[in-house]
Amino acid sequence: MSHHHDDDHDHGEHRESASMASRVGALIAKLEAKGILSEAELDAAVEAFLMNTQHAGGPALVARAWIDQPFRARLLADANAALDELGIDMSHWAKVKLRAVENTERVHNVIVCTLCSCYPVSLLGPSPTWYKSLAYRSRVVREPRAVLAEFGLQLDSSIDVRVWDSTAELRYIVLPRRPADTDGMKETDLAALVTRDALIGTGVCATVQRG
Amino acid sequence: MTTRFRCGDQVRTRAQNPEGHTRLPRYLCDRRGTVEMIHGLFALPDDRALGASLSTGRQETLYTVVFEGREVWRERSAEPLFVSADLWDSYLEPEPAR
Amino acid sequence: MSKLRWRPALGNASLRAMPSTHDVGGASGFGPIVREVDEPPFHHEWEARVFALNRRLLQLGFYNLDEFRLAVERMPSEAYLASSYYEKWFIAVERLLREKGVLE
Repeated sequence: MSHHHDDDHDHGEHRESASMASRVGALIAKLEAKGILSEAELDAAVEAFLMNTQHAGGPALVARAWIDQPFRARLLADANAALDELGIDMSHWAKVKLRAVENTERVHNVIVCTLCSCYPVSLLGPSPTWYKSLAYRSRVVREPRAVLAEFGLQLDSSIDVRVWDSTAELRYIVLPRRPADTDGMKETDLAALVTRDALIGTGVCATVQRG
Repeated sequence: MTTRFRCGDQVRTRAQNPEGHTRLPRYLCDRRGTVEMIHGLFALPDDRALGASLSTGRQETLYTVVFEGREVWRERSAEPLFVSADLWDSYLEPEPAR
Repeated sequence: MSKLRWRPALGNASLRAMPSTHDVGGASGFGPIVREVDEPPFHHEWEARVFALNRRLLQLGFYNLDEFRLAVERMPSEAYLASSYYEKWFIAVERLLREKGVLE
């Protein structure tokens, strides 16, 4: 389901956003006056964060796991070590423990944080708004198949659905199944097939249609 | 420090949450589950939220506990569902084997 | 056995009045999941700044992550349900900075 604006909504949202921008700016100015931090420093931090998370560490992990079975086993046993192996920096202000959970022909995994919105931000970047929504947080633990159907994903009723509620300082990613017809593909091309929704469990990876 | 449970143990989550910040969701209170993984010591968020430092607050073993969907929702369903959560030692009690 | 040796920063009364609106697993009535096509990481510059601000204050040790979560959870229910994600963050950060005496 896609989101659309109409005129009234746009104007209202613009006012609210301008108001928030002003409040945020005022708070940062106060903190800057106290020498605690600066707006320039925060803006630089945002840039660095976005650049780092655009390096697509998640898809890289998945693509390597698809082509290298011992690596797959190591990833499932200790995802942090697997990240180190690939030189992927999950830059964060505190150490984060990552766990990868694998989809198989019998099991489909989905990630959520019902209590707030915990998500592997330092690996995947900011979570999508829907992940943080009350609708997703409340429904996916109770009726995951209905939620997945809204995402266009139909699962056979014989498949186990496993929902992982991120209640502590572990962060989860799904290791999606390798799509069919991808034999011989380069690792970087395989990584390009891995969508963020597939890493959360609300999607699967598909092959690119070849012309 | 105590690690009261091992992988495969049956546990029951506490029946009710105390006042204040905690990380046992309501929908998983008073539910029977199985310990699936043990993660070592983590600072108890219930204490940390009140300003405890890493040395003055409790550090407890963190477990991943898996619950069957029909146990969580008390509903029978033809379609298999498992829900897991990462829970601290004091959120759990042993559940006698059936 | 508890080894608490410090005094909790918040009084019990404040916590007894705390709503549990945030604890939504299994709750009904929240409707379909709305998704935006090609959603950007942040919709507004102020959101990105709130994100970076919170991270920096956590890094500097003004408060810890659980104090931050509690500050979000202590919002009045109506405000919690009506506010956007980063609005909630901003409200929580401001509250924490006031309670810690960083802001008057």
